[in-house]
Amino acid sequence: MNSNRLAVKFGGASGQGINTAGRMLTQSINRTGLYTFSTREYPSLIKGGIASYQVDVSNKEIFSSKRKYQILCTMSEASFHKYLPNLSENGVIIHDGEEMELTPEEEIHIQKNNLHIVYLHSEKIALENGGTEIMGNAVLLGFIWKLLKQDPQILVEEVLEMLSGKDIDTEAETKCLLAGYNHPLYREELSHGIQLPTSAGTHRSLLITGNEAIALGALAAGMRAFYGYPMTPATSIFKFLGDTAHQSKIVIKQAENEITAALMSMGSMYMGTRALTATSGGGFDLMIETISCCGMSETPLVVVLAQRIGSGTGVPTWTGSGDLYTAVKGGHGDFPRCVISVSDATSCFSLIQKAFNIADKFQLPVILLSEKQIAESIYSVEKLPKVEKIDRNVVSPSKRYEITDSGISPRWIPTKGLQPYIHTSDEHTEDGHSTEEEVEVKAMSDKRLRKVTSLKNEIPEPTLYGNPNSDIVFVGYGSTKNALLDTIQLNENISYLHFDYIYPLKADKVQHLLNDGKRVILLENNQDGQFGKLLAEETGIKLKEQYLKYDGRAFSIDDILDYLNR
Amino acid sequence: MALELNDYNSKYTPTWCPGCGNFGIHVALKKALMELNVHPSETFISFDIGCNGNGADTVGTYAFKTLHGRSIPVAIGAHLANRKFTVIADIGDGGCYHEGLDHIVNAIKSNYDITILIHNNMNFALTTGQATVTTPVGKKMYALPKGKPERDLDTNAFLMSLKPTFFAKGYSGDLPLLTEIIKKAIQHKGCSIVDISQLCPTYNKECNPEWFNNNIIKIDSLENYSNKSIDDANDLVKEMAKTKKIYTGIIYMNDSVPTFYDNLDSRKGIISEISEEVKEYNIKDLLKYCN
Repeated sequence: MNSNRLAVKFGGASGQGINTAGRMLTQSINRTGLYTFSTREYPSLIKGGIASYQVDVSNKEIFSSKRKYQILCTMSEASFHKYLPNLSENGVIIHDGEEMELTPEEEIHIQKNNLHIVYLHSEKIALENGGTEIMGNAVLLGFIWKLLKQDPQILVEEVLEMLSGKDIDTEAETKCLLAGYNHPLYREELSHGIQLPTSAGTHRSLLITGNEAIALGALAAGMRAFYGYPMTPATSIFKFLGDTAHQSKIVIKQAENEITAALMSMGSMYMGTRALTATSGGGFDLMIETISCCGMSETPLVVVLAQRIGSGTGVPTWTGSGDLYTAVKGGHGDFPRCVISVSDATSCFSLIQKAFNIADKFQLPVILLSEKQIAESIYSVEKLPKVEKIDRNVVSPSKRYEITDSGISPRWIPTKGLQPYIHTSDEHTEDGHSTEEEVEVKAMSDKRLRKVTSLKNEIPEPTLYGNPNSDIVFVGYGSTKNALLDTIQLNENISYLHFDYIYPLKADKVQHLLNDGKRVILLENNQDGQFGKLLAEETGIKLKEQYLKYDGRAFSIDDILDYLNR
Repeated sequence: MALELNDYNSKYTPTWCPGCGNFGIHVALKKALMELNVHPSETFISFDIGCNGNGADTVGTYAFKTLHGRSIPVAIGAHLANRKFTVIADIGDGGCYHEGLDHIVNAIKSNYDITILIHNNMNFALTTGQATVTTPVGKKMYALPKGKPERDLDTNAFLMSLKPTFFAKGYSGDLPLLTEIIKKAIQHKGCSIVDISQLCPTYNKECNPEWFNNNIIKIDSLENYSNKSIDDANDLVKEMAKTKKIYTGIIYMNDSVPTFYDNLDSRKGIISEISEEVKEYNIKDLLKYCN
């Protein structure tokens, strides 16, 4: 185990309050000056099943969960059995309930790894301390805080701050936290395997999910309308923007379906504002006719595609990146587009702003690829990056579809007194009149596709992280960056080439790595190696070594190291 | 300078069949805009695909020729972005009642301040005469040599069931009335639906001008009819279903229902339009809502 990291996992049924407990622990640890990475796993149902909330802690910025954890707190029998196998050596499991009947394998596992089990009846303790049943979570938190050897005052302050404004008996809540902290079941030997990293200071990071960062980035970029339709894992963008609309004053609308959400965005963007819609794979499929229409009509559009795993309904609450093809290729006809992939909260914040600038300037649809792992995980961020300058390329009226070398035609905002123009999904002449003449059809099509070249000239090269002299280079996009950045901290012989821009694709660096004789490994969260295929198609470069993971789980440090040790 | 009808035209001539009802509808729309003194550069028309959609080439306003059945949500998006514009969604009966049926339902429910003109020629004409829900049962159509097998839809009753705040019926051959209806529809604050019976001399030959003259009754000619009365409106719709007559004029209007935007809490008290508000926004005060 890397001594700079520690993890606490909560397990239970959906609806048992593990999210609240996880959030409270994350925020309290954040108050100590340490960095966290928290992620939720949950089934596609409202109450029941097995859900978890894992909080990883370090004294450096971290971006992924470790496979193993040092403290496990379970609130259901099913979660006890499910999560026990990955409790690390000398770890502690706090089970909220009766003594469990262990399987022979579990007995052996516990003995071999010197695991400790504590049975804590949190609800009973909460009631004894004047609290309600739901305050059982405070008892558990208090006990965990003691295992972490942290000042109880910090926990109490943070929890009360989180609960301020809510109709909660704060005195009882405090008593429950302290009842857990001072519980007689705690004994010194329990903490032997648990060492919270030494804090770097007392600063507090911003705790932020990828979706929140997208919402904030969009607002910073001047987005003034959001058209939503619920679909996990995109929905919390809608929630954040809805919950803050009283302050941001945006137009917010739940459309009747994703088709409508995309069309409303297109209409609003035509009219000169910045609008956004966000969905997952199934909803994105419904938006594709609009995306194709934006391609032809040269209407700016920004769509967030937050991916989950599988075709059809797939595995709705689990992560993956199998929608790259549909983002890059979906839609009838040849048309230019841009596909950008976010990877963590800060990139969510910056790249959504880039997406709006590109959509406006190049007048084409931009698809911002995200993943459940990025969308819903809670990153601790020192500070959000600087806001991008808004770049719209709005000019004075002339020919709306003028044929230019760059492919970019003049666009102006519809305004009273300015020459009106038509956007059209028909092939058209420079003034927007529909045409079927062969010379005109080809000329306008060529003009539009030239925007891909112009755009390619503007987008940055992929970024190489880690030791440039390393022998092994992983290549990837999206959430793979998170596990890789954490792995690089442990292994100097690994570097990682990360792509923010998926299409157009700038991939000379991959060829350079191959030329240098490096071991280049493609890493993707899908079954088909879709990025690898796109790379081959666009550049002729075929990456023979591929590590593909498509079980609904994100890559972890452990996955990467295991792969290299095979 | 006073506006002229030609100000609403592009330099291109229409491609419709001789005698097509779209000529009349376009003249009525442009005349209505002109008489209301709505400048072409403060008008946005979103078009469907089909014969009516081909009208997009002929207008001199801001416009968007969208996709089949999709003109309504594009109009809504444009309207919400800038309410200073007069926004018209132009759509055929195929696009409205088939491909994009959900859009009119939700547009009426939300009561956006736009005008929806349904070019109802009782068939899919540009794809050469397929049946729509407004084609009478049993009529022989493209790929239906034995006649359309299903019942037709009572679109009047359907639309009224959605509680529109403005519902009118017009006829492409009655320009003065259609112009007046469209003017009232544009002036109405809320979602105005105008279902326009239109001549289609190529694929709906039976319904020629003579047929329309025999089957149309003007609402203005009715005694004691109030288009403010929902009961009168519902009775009239039942009468249309029973007699198969078309009543033209404003069937129902209700000015007391707030529009979607008026009800939007986040926009209360703001006078600017969101198309004017695209600038860097300081998110500092929103950070506290994270996680």
